[in-house]
Amino acid sequence: MAFKGIKTKDRHIQNLAGIVDGSRSILYHKEDLIAYDCDGFTIHKHLPKAVVFPKNTEEVAEIVKYCAKHHLPFLARGAGTGLSGGAVPLNSEVVISLVRMKNLISIDLENRRAVVEPGFVNLKLTNSISDKGYYYAPDPSSQYCCTIGGNVAENAGGAHCLKYGVTTNHILGLEVVLPDGEVIELGHNGIPDAPGYDLLGLLTGSEGTLGIVTKITVRILKNPEAKKTVLAYFDRVADGSQAVSDIISAGIVPAALEMMDKTAIEGVEAAAFPVGHPKDIAAVLLIEVDGIAAGIDEQIAQILEVCKNRHVREVREAANEEERARWWANRKTGFGAMGAISPDYLVQDGVIPRSRLPEVLDRIEEISAESGLRIANIFHAGDGNLHPLVLFDARIPGQTEKAIDAGSACLQACADAGGTITGEHGVGIEKREEMRFVFKEEEITAQTNIRQVFNPDNLLNAGKLFPTPGRCGEVKKEMKEALLTQ
Amino acid sequence: MRQVEEKPSPACTSAKSLSNYLWSDHPDENKWADCTHCGMCLESCPTYEQTGQEQHSPRGRVHLIKSVAEGKLEVNTQFMDPVYACLDCRACTTACPANVDVGGLIEEARGQIRQAMPLTGWKGSVSKLFLKGLFPHPNRLNSLGNVLKFYQKSGMQKVVRKSKLINIMPDHLVEMESIMPKVDTSVRKKYKNENVIKSTQPTKNEVALLTGCVMDVMFSDINESTINVLTRNGSDVSIPKNQTCCGALHVHAGDRDTGRKLAKQNIEAFESSEKVIVNAAGCGCMLQEYGELFREVEPEWHDRAVAFSKKVEDVSKYLHDTGYKKPKAALNKRITYHDACHLAHGQGVRREPRNILLDIPGVDMVHMPNADRCCGSAGIYNITNPEMAGDVLESKMKNVPDDVDMISMGNPGCMLQMAIGVQKYGRNQKIVHTVQLLDWAYQKEDGEVADNGI
Repeated sequence: MAFKGIKTKDRHIQNLAGIVDGSRSILYHKEDLIAYDCDGFTIHKHLPKAVVFPKNTEEVAEIVKYCAKHHLPFLARGAGTGLSGGAVPLNSEVVISLVRMKNLISIDLENRRAVVEPGFVNLKLTNSISDKGYYYAPDPSSQYCCTIGGNVAENAGGAHCLKYGVTTNHILGLEVVLPDGEVIELGHNGIPDAPGYDLLGLLTGSEGTLGIVTKITVRILKNPEAKKTVLAYFDRVADGSQAVSDIISAGIVPAALEMMDKTAIEGVEAAAFPVGHPKDIAAVLLIEVDGIAAGIDEQIAQILEVCKNRHVREVREAANEEERARWWANRKTGFGAMGAISPDYLVQDGVIPRSRLPEVLDRIEEISAESGLRIANIFHAGDGNLHPLVLFDARIPGQTEKAIDAGSACLQACADAGGTITGEHGVGIEKREEMRFVFKEEEITAQTNIRQVFNPDNLLNAGKLFPTPGRCGEVKKEMKEALLTQ
Repeated sequence: MRQVEEKPSPACTSAKSLSNYLWSDHPDENKWADCTHCGMCLESCPTYEQTGQEQHSPRGRVHLIKSVAEGKLEVNTQFMDPVYACLDCRACTTACPANVDVGGLIEEARGQIRQAMPLTGWKGSVSKLFLKGLFPHPNRLNSLGNVLKFYQKSGMQKVVRKSKLINIMPDHLVEMESIMPKVDTSVRKKYKNENVIKSTQPTKNEVALLTGCVMDVMFSDINESTINVLTRNGSDVSIPKNQTCCGALHVHAGDRDTGRKLAKQNIEAFESSEKVIVNAAGCGCMLQEYGELFREVEPEWHDRAVAFSKKVEDVSKYLHDTGYKKPKAALNKRITYHDACHLAHGQGVRREPRNILLDIPGVDMVHMPNADRCCGSAGIYNITNPEMAGDVLESKMKNVPDDVDMISMGNPGCMLQMAIGVQKYGRNQKIVHTVQLLDWAYQKEDGEVADNGI
């Protein structure tokens, strides 16, 4: 049956258009699809077969059933702000965009939970409940635009996860469309710690390889009674990182403990939200403490003391909410800000024990020198989650490959220091190969066996999260070759 | 789908072509080099909000524009749709961490599209009539103004409205007809024999006024108010005779050649002025971006254009920065303020008009959520893309507080569009320009106007 307004004979497109009810809910022209050839990870691009925009769970289930029946690869996408390529249609997938499922279904302040659709934007949840004194804690830097569905897929973190935990600590229930189209509910009535296996935990952070989340019950928190924010400038990176360790060792758990190095400062100061950080400083720490009002001042005094002991050049408290907001805007737009000093960047996401910060940062500096590429560091220092940003220019032949290698070397350094390869951005396409830095072949197989239970035909988001068995060395080579032919 | 006919590529490809952009003045590589595809722009974009589709988002459009340069796409109708569906509201430029000039890229891409695929059919005729036949010609605009005046005063408007004649107009044109402001004498005509309108106070500054085309025909009272508040605060005002349309509508539509022609005429017309005051945000923003038009074509004009742009200032910013008398009489009104895109996002003017309103005694300012969200007017977008413009307007109107008497703003396009919104959604707010309120407060102070006259 030809569907009204659909200008292609492709029967799959015609049939999918029938499921989502019309030409305004499906894209299939190359000119439109090209906007979906990558997400926030731009190194690897591939055109999808089509993009469909379901408006409810039933439509998602129908699309999935159709794809499963006709053996069409498919994947889910939210705002497409992921940084590891989780939403890139490597196998010409049918992209199921969930952005039109963007309702806030219910708010239950008494039980401190809310139910949202997957396309609901992270920050909008906090904005919807802040007047009542509540907020949603996970705050990835892309929270202005990223969706909670995507946050679940990637188990997103954020600046304030040091104290409050990452997405998985705030998910109470999920409605999931499995890769065969069956709809299941996980988490009963939003009551945490259900008996049996922790399937909520398994699904959260599965990077869209086990199912498509269509409804999410999240925990919401009461706003802290008091909050104070401090900026500290250091002349030596080692002093800054040592101060981070000292603050935690002193028994303080700040809500956030962020660090930027000199190159990162250059970027944010050249971009849209400068705050006037000194240009000649080696590192800036952004420290926030919150909680009940009593004791906050003592914590701040302790932090100032620690910083002084580590030769801080200048340290000051935010004078008011406006200044605090400016500091955060400067920090949270840090990745995008790199555009102001470099045409492209590759962001890495290693995690290390806090105490190893100085030596790993030294190693990253060496990698930068070896590759000839600048590397900026913006990171959640408090939980040892590094974000080295490898700056490059894809227009210069060879630079992209160098950047990929430098990024990989940074992750190797993290793994060598007893850490791991991702804290919050996910593995996606980008770090498939680096999974071998932290897992043995059998461990990877054990995990793909789990995927097999949910996603036996591997039609859902194939080629992500795990390296292809037995072809380890070839994957990176493939990526590079694909780049050359793009 | 627009009616277009695909024209073959130029016989001799210009030396300045860039892959599939075959004409010179192509989109500027340096502008998209800043975009890292982070997505921070998505939520700022009204067309992404409406569609959820990334080709209708700022980063999607930048990606498409870049893809043509990389030879992955061609300049065709499928490419044209997302590029022309952009409102050019610049909200993405505010949201972007790397200050990517998306608006500039869109305008440059439209320039290429218009050359590759000239508009034909109904759209072509309408666009030619307005953009080439009308706006660049103040006299013709005035004649149109006279026709409209006749239409309103002769009773013809009543006849048309009462009879079913109005039913044969497309819906969005009926909406526009119904909110048509009362047409008065244009200030260009009124002051045509005066070289300078002297300040009523000792002269502090000399400024030149851009009267605008729509502004001077449809909203000449706002131009009058502008002159009043300027002369009351120590500025001598001149209205250079040879000035013309700013060209914003042409540049938005992709007609950069006419844009350049008008720009050169204005640069010359205002050559001897030190300060150019504008009360229409869209025009002000265009005048401040003349340099962009001469980046590649006629580069000998570039520096003059940049120097001209530096002289251009919105009236609210000018008053705010040079000082104005706080009115003594009270206007007891509840007022909310709408940020015109080309004032807030285009010129970074947000605080100044609000402060002026707050300085008027009796004004009770009511916060409008998302005040800097586009209303859907966007030049002639509400004529060319009525459906999208309507959706954008609907979401704008949801943010207008219920209990206000007036909505104040600084752009005539927004004023028309918001007036449609007020009418369409059964609201009762009066739509006013910020300088009008200031002017009325002064007049009231002088005992020239009563509260109920406002």
